Order: sequence, then C-alpha cells, then structure tokens
Amino acid sequence: MTDETRPAISRRTLLAGAAALGGTALLPLESAFAATAPKTLRIASGEADGVKATLDPAYGTNDPDAARANLVFEGLVKLDENFDVKPSLATDWKTNADGSVWTFNLRPNVKFHDGSPFTAADVIFSFSRLFDPQKPSPSAAWLAPIDPKGIKAVNDLTVEFTLKQPVVEFPDLIAYSKILKAGQSNDQVRTAGIGTGPFKVEHFVPGEEPSIYVKHDQYWQPGKPGVDRVELRSVPEESARIAALIAGQIDIFWDLPLRGLNKLEQDKDVVIQSAHTGFWLGIAAWTDTPPFDNPKVRQALKLAANREQLLKAVLGGRGTLGNDSPVAPWVKFGLQVSQREQDIAQAKKLLAEAGHPDGVDLELYTSASGSGLVELATAYKAQAEPAGIRIRINQAPAEDYWSNIWLKKPFIVTAWSGKSADAALSRPFLSDAEWNETHWKNKDFDNYIHEARRTLDETKRGELYQKAQELVRDDGGAIISLFADAVGATRANVKGWKLHPQKLSQSFGDVTIEG
Amino acid sequence: MRVDPIFRLIVTRMTLSFVSLFAVSLIIFASIALLPGDTAERILGRDATKQSLEALRLQLHLSDPAPVRYGRWLSGVVQGDFGRSLVADRPVLPYIESYLGRTLVLGGLALLVHIPLSIGLGLLAAAKRDGPVDIGMSIAVLIGMSVPEFVVGIFLVVFLATDLRLLPPLALIDQARSVWDALAMLILPIVTLNFAMTAYVVRQTRSSMIDVLRSDYVRMAQLRGLSRSRVLLVHALPNALAPAINAIALNASWLVGGIVVVEVVFNYPGLGRLLVDSIRFRDVPMIQGTALVLSATYIGVNLVADVLTLLLNPKLRTRLA
Repeated sequence: MTDETRPAISRRTLLAGAAALGGTALLPLESAFAATAPKTLRIASGEADGVKATLDPAYGTNDPDAARANLVFEGLVKLDENFDVKPSLATDWKTNADGSVWTFNLRPNVKFHDGSPFTAADVIFSFSRLFDPQKPSPSAAWLAPIDPKGIKAVNDLTVEFTLKQPVVEFPDLIAYSKILKAGQSNDQVRTAGIGTGPFKVEHFVPGEEPSIYVKHDQYWQPGKPGVDRVELRSVPEESARIAALIAGQIDIFWDLPLRGLNKLEQDKDVVIQSAHTGFWLGIAAWTDTPPFDNPKVRQALKLAANREQLLKAVLGGRGTLGNDSPVAPWVKFGLQVSQREQDIAQAKKLLAEAGHPDGVDLELYTSASGSGLVELATAYKAQAEPAGIRIRINQAPAEDYWSNIWLKKPFIVTAWSGKSADAALSRPFLSDAEWNETHWKNKDFDNYIHEARRTLDETKRGELYQKAQELVRDDGGAIISLFADAVGATRANVKGWKLHPQKLSQSFGDVTIEG
Repeated sequence: MRVDPIFRLIVTRMTLSFVSLFAVSLIIFASIALLPGDTAERILGRDATKQSLEALRLQLHLSDPAPVRYGRWLSGVVQGDFGRSLVADRPVLPYIESYLGRTLVLGGLALLVHIPLSIGLGLLAAAKRDGPVDIGMSIAVLIGMSVPEFVVGIFLVVFLATDLRLLPPLALIDQARSVWDALAMLILPIVTLNFAMTAYVVRQTRSSMIDVLRSDYVRMAQLRGLSRSRVLLVHALPNALAPAINAIALNASWLVGGIVVVEVVFNYPGLGRLLVDSIRFRDVPMIQGTALVLSATYIGVNLVADVLTLLLNPKLRTRLA
C-alpha cells in the first residue's frame, strides 16, 4: 500500500503534456488512463499545521486535526447543518424519565479499517480514554457529566451511559466524540489510528505535508467514499488559497476569507459555497454602568443600528442579520420574532426619556484581533450619530484585546463563535457566567435556562429558550448585529461536498470527482 | 614536506569554524537556560499542574546542573542525536533533515540564478557606467530590494499564476509528477527571492569593478589592444569579485534561515518556518537543534566565501605562499 496506490500520472499532467506537444493524438490514451487511475481529492485547511499535529481525536487542537479525525473516525451521532442531531454509528437512542441514563443502539455490520467488527466495547474504550487521569482529553471538561465507570455494554450492539447528572441534550454533547477501535495505544492513534470512517491513514507524519488517506473498502455506507485517495495539507496564507483553487492545485477549501473573492466568483472552474454560521459580531455594554444601566439607552443603541448596511460594510454581504439574540435564527430553538430595524426617531425619543435629550458621548473599544471588528465599530459609529449617540472609537492593540480590554472596559466590540442555543445563551448571559461581558443579571433569564436544562419535552424546552432570548433581545446589553457566513469553495468537477457551518464537522465521504 | 598553502588554509579555517560552532552551541544552550523561570514552567505556561511540571522536569533532566545537561546535549549532537521534540514527541533530527532539505533545494536554485544574474548585472552597470542602462538598473534593483518579499511574491502569484496562468502559484512539490513540474513550481519563489537579493550584490560588483577598471594594469591591457570584453571578463572581473562574494555569502545565509515570509506565501515549509514554529511552541530541543544547524550553515557558507575570495585574489594568494 505504498507507491502502488499513488497515481503514476495524473490526468492533469497528461493533459498538460498533450497540450505541450500540441498533439491531440494523445487524448485517447488519456481516457484509457482515466478509467483506471485512482482518483485523488486534494483538500486543504486554512489553519497552519505543524509538528504538533495529531490524528487522535482526543487531543486534536487545530482545524487540520479536526479534518484528519473526520476522514478517519465517526461518532455515535453527528450534527447536521442546523445543529440537529442525526444518527451515525448509533442508529437510535432513548433515555429514562429524567435524562440521566441514555441507551444507544449501535449500527450492525460496521467494520473497522482492519476488518474487525464495531461493537459496544469500542464505544466504552473510546469514551473511557478521554478521562485518562495521566493524560485527560481537553474534551473531558465539557463531557464532565459522563462517568467513565457508568458506561456499560448491554449487549454487543447496545451501550448504556449512566450519567453523574441528568443531561437532556446528551446526544448533542457527544456529537464531536469519535469512536476508535478498542485496544489501540496513544502512539498508534496519533498517526495511524483505526476507525470506521470512509478513509484510512496511508501516510501521516506530524509536521510533514500532505498527509494521505485511502478509501476504506469495507465502509458501511454502500458506494462511498467516492474517491480513492485524499491528500490533506494546510495553506495559511489567504491569497495563496485563492490562487491554489484557481490553478487547480487544491480541490476543496472550507475556510476562505469573506472579502476579496471576486477572482474566484469569475472563475467558472471554481464553485463557491457559503453556509450560515452562528458566529456573531456585536457590541457589548455593561448594564450596571451609566448610561447603559438604563434599559431605554440600551434599546436606543440597538435601534440605532442599520444591520443591512453593517452586513455589507463588515462582511461584504456574506452573513445574516442578527436580532440581538446570540442564537442564530436557523439554529435549533433560534429566536422567531420579527427582525429589529433601524429607527432613529424612536432611538432619539428613548434617549430623551432616559434623561439624555442632547444625546450621549461614548467611548467604544475595538481592535483588529478578529476579522470585521474594526469595520463594525466604524460603520456603527456613523449610523448612530444621527440618533445623538456620539461615539469615539478607541482601537486597542490586537494582541491582548481579549485579555486586557474584553471584560475590562464597559463598551466594546465583541464576537462569539457559533454554539447550540443553550451554550450561546448561558456562556455570556447567565448572571454567574465567567464571561458575562454585559454584567447583565436577570433572575428570570437564569430560571428559564435552568428550567430548560431539566425539561425533556422538546416543545416546552424550545419555549423556555424563546423566552430567555426575548429577554436578552429586549433588556440585555449586547447589540448582536451580524452572523458571519462560512465560505468555502471547490473545483467545479468536485461534487457531493457540502460546506458545514462548523469546521469541526466537515465530511468528505460523499465527495466525488467528475471527469 | 611542503603542504599546499591553500590546503593548509582550508584546514585552519575549518578548525576555526568548529571552534566557532562550539561557541555557538554554548550560546544557544546558555540563552535558553538563562531565560527567567524554569524551562518546564515556560513550556507548560498557564496549563501547568504540579504533576505535569514534575513529569516534564524529569523528562528534561532539569534537576541536573547546567554543565551536565549541556554536556549531555552536545555529546548527543556529536553522535547525531538532537534529542526529542517536546511538541511532536518524536526525534528532532528527521524534522531538521526534511525541512533543511527543502530549504537547500530552494536556496540552491535561487543562488544558481542569483550569482550569474547579479554579477552579470553589476558588470553591465560598470561597463555602461552613468549611462541610462546603469541608472535604470540601479533604480530597478533598488526598488526590487525595497519592496517587501511578500508583496513581490503575492504580486507575482496574482499576475503570473492567477491572471496569466503561466505558472503554478504554490510550491507543492509533492504534487509534481516530474522534475520539470517541480521546477515550474519553484520558479515564482526563486524569482521573488532574487528580487530581494540582487541589489546589494549588483552595487558591490559595480563599484569594485569601477575601481578595478581605473587601475593601471587594466589600462595597460586596454593599451595593448585587448578586446573590451576580454579586459572586462578575464582581467578586471576576478579582481573585483571579492566584495560580491561576501555579499552573496550574506544572501546565502539569509536563504537558509530568513525566508519564512516567502515560505508562507508559496506554502513551502523550510528551516526558517520550523524555527519560528518551535519558538512559538517553546519546543526547546527543536529550537536548539534548528538554531545549531542554521549557525552551522552560516559558518559553512562564510568558510566557502573566504576560501573563494582567497583563491581569486592573487595578492592574498601569494602572501599566503
């Protein structure tokens, strides 16, 4: 399985050779080759890789690590584009009355890369190793409700998790946890781990590019994967990514800049894909500090924003409007109320009612520590001016913005990565949240969240999250104005790939290459 | 028995080089050891727990006195054991080999273009002194040097690769199916590097050529009726090369460790990138190994330059004899 699986000659080189010789006589030969030549998919992450690289899903830290794990391993469940849980290695699951015991039925006839069958023992092994006291996985922190001793095999194809405390959305919690063949050492998993995924490792040396994966012949989904080989590398330089796509050196990128894509858009050999994400950009104000301690001032700030305009100025149109709730509207339990529009007159009126008939003067901190943060401050400043909100922008150094300005200054530009409804609401907005950037403390909100976490009934749980979001939207201290899209692209002959809003969940099993 | 003076010179210089390499190894080791705090704390940073600190100290033998640790490291290096990367958890040496290999390929090819190009241009400038060719070229090479490499690189990619589609933009040489493919991928980085390197050598060559051309023996050769090209190439050039060779040596050293930016633009990870990454991750054995290899290359390049200068210069040659 070394050099034999490498294509001796690619279609591209051959075509180039034919063109160079000026001969069309070579073309029939080319099609003869195409029938037998293995198809190689060349994919690239936008994040730098290095000698730290690992295949081990328990210790992966960067985006290339996640891509490797997604090629080789699968989870019991997976998240679709709306962050809804779908079956993967588990076919279905059920829980007891309070969500403290979860039983998963495993998919029969699934084979690992070495041909051995997938069973409950592999699930127990994969989860137990995350809690290894010698070297715990970083994911052990959010998987804390799992008791490693409470995982048991009911039979070969049934696993039962007895949790330390009830978790009503337990399948969401384990959607990123991968299943490995039992008994592998850490060393083996790091570079040559055995999983059930569509591809198996052929060649991976941490720090050397590319890493190479070949088709898993006994993959449980018939007819997949659609290519024979995958080459993964990383291209950290943005302009290099665009050039590599146009030149056909890379087939898929899932992480392109939001702006400066004109060349790609014009190229008919490249197809751009966008996906909505829950990554939000906004402005956070301390609700216990004047003038933001008056809810009317906060509402005026929210009404001053022209979000359509912000979307164009900040994200080049690649995103969606925020409605002052941190849960994107398409995410499960997302807020379903009408979009807040700019209303300068109303903003002025609210400010006057709050005791600021002549407007307010504010100092807004921002920095170039994230894409769009400075643009957001500049555009919002111009929009708020007519309402009597006079903003002075203070551009802080990017290096320590998140350690010295964020959570330390009363009025700042902020951004949060996409999360499920509960995480998106609880991490910044619960009264006792470590990252409560708005100093907002609302008993009703806290109660809604805690109650939702105990509610097994999905409809009721959804209603509670709706109420919590309405409180954040109308009373909270964050102007949540935009959700940024993720942008990726493929060569036009690459089919079956769908950009997932979350980089962690990219999948390549369905991809085929035409021609 | 009479030893060839050149040979003796090379032996002396090589001995001196080993002494300086030894000094460099001391400096590298000491500068890492002298940094505040203990290495284990620095590596683990805020994630440090008592247990993990202890484990790492044991792994790094931090309880031993510094001279013992230095001795152990040095004796390992001499035997080809550069230790184990803390981040990669694998031996350091294979990484240095593969990253240095890529660096040498790109750097070697860039030099292959650089040497004749810059000396030739310098010669041309001196021959056409103060004419439009000379002035135009001076301006051109100075612009080439002043514009940062990544600007030149990105411009070349956009113009030659993306717009005109003449060349592949990234140097992904593992994708090459032939030597010619690989060379095509390396053309843009080579051109970019030459933009940055040319000016200094051209100016050195030009000014020393002008000096030499003023000298009596050149005038003599001209008076004897030798052709202009013969005077320039055979009589004047060898004597004018010494400053150019030193400038080229500086460039060669830069090519080995200083071209991280070009490596990033063309996605071609070399030794510079390895060093920057290992500093970012505080991977002490990797930093030590990479820094040592970089220093060795610097010293080696300068040794070659010195010897070449001596060989070319009859005055120095005779003084030796």
